[in-house]
Amino acid sequence: MNNRSASIICAFGLLGTIAGIAPVAAHHSFAMFDFSKTMTVKGTVTEFRWTNPHVALLVQFEPQPGAAPEVWSMELTSPGNLTRGGWTRHSFKPGDRVELEFNPLRDGKHGGAFNKATFLDTGQVITSNLRAAEKPGLE
Amino acid sequence: MTLLAREWRVVLALVLGVAAPAAGAVDVVINPPPAAKDWAALASLPDWSGVWTPNVTDQQRRIHSDPVPWNKAAAAQVAKLEAAERRGDPRGLFVNCLPESMPSWMLITHNALEFLFTPGRVTILGESDGNRLRRIYTDGRGHPADPDPTFHGHSIGHWENDTLVVDTVAILPEAYIAVSEAVGVPNNGDLHVIERIRLENPDVLRDDLEIVAPNVLTKPWKTSRFLFRQRARKYDIVEGVCLQGNYSEGKDASGNAVFVPAPQTEGGNTIPPEDSGKPR
Repeated sequence: MNNRSASIICAFGLLGTIAGIAPVAAHHSFAMFDFSKTMTVKGTVTEFRWTNPHVALLVQFEPQPGAAPEVWSMELTSPGNLTRGGWTRHSFKPGDRVELEFNPLRDGKHGGAFNKATFLDTGQVITSNLRAAEKPGLE
Repeated sequence: MTLLAREWRVVLALVLGVAAPAAGAVDVVINPPPAAKDWAALASLPDWSGVWTPNVTDQQRRIHSDPVPWNKAAAAQVAKLEAAERRGDPRGLFVNCLPESMPSWMLITHNALEFLFTPGRVTILGESDGNRLRRIYTDGRGHPADPDPTFHGHSIGHWENDTLVVDTVAILPEAYIAVSEAVGVPNNGDLHVIERIRLENPDVLRDDLEIVAPNVLTKPWKTSRFLFRQRARKYDIVEGVCLQGNYSEGKDASGNAVFVPAPQTEGGNTIPPEDSGKPR
């Protein structure tokens, strides 16, 4: 799983600025995410919106140690595409403690493109990679 | 699918005495009910069952390998959009959640689709926009004389061996010819799309498109797109209502479950409710 995640991040870095590749699907360009920056934070899930066209994961964390906590919104691809990647609408629930890795919005607003989350209580890693579906007969 | 090529044409003379005006005569075309042989004929068609996922990497590779023959005015707009994307401008073509439409659905989709074969028709169902579907009539009819323009146009098709040849007209002039979700130009009218769709190998479907758009292209654009067959049940198509993303689930004053507007950036990204939107 770690290798897979690393390859995803690498792909974003190489291609993101060329063609807008991102872990989100239709309906907006991905140029607003700064794929040259990867942020890693530890926080708590406040909301998981399992909706089209982009699933959203809201996570609260302290931007700096001791600073007032902020809620940031992570964008993902569609429920259909995530289901094929093994996700469900129960993949996250409020209160889950996670280490979150994402590419932030360029404009400094509190949002980003989801890369990876690690559940701090179990060590489980969850990723999103639309490109993994680019071959037939997947299971 | 020539079995249904015949049309049961019934001319209704509106008999209001001998004085019925000529303009009152209406040609009513009845679509005949399929017979058992029409259903049986479907078995001779190629097997396109399953769910098809797009080769997005190839879509983007072809931005360069199959360059669009934009005319001068369109090329200038495309150059601006490409520059905007390079510098991180958040605007996209489909932020308003209107359909990607034809031909962009076929060109740039990131979502799965499926094919349904029924007598006289091939239907393509997608997974986004809430109402993403194409009806391709294979019953031998032609295009209407004056069809209403729509997002996906009016499509007629016929089979040449195992290739479905589709001819689509009457697409809204606002429908983009897009090479990505950020870069594309409205077709501006008179758009005509010809497709040849076939299995390239048992589990890869190939769509060869010829896009004739005289108001934005200098010549017809020929390109191809590819889809991968999935049969695992988790790939089954699900509902995908784009506008739902503009809302989150909440409660009204009566305790009803309702959708409430979700804050977004100008570019369509969700942001948390308490985010002032001010840059950090």
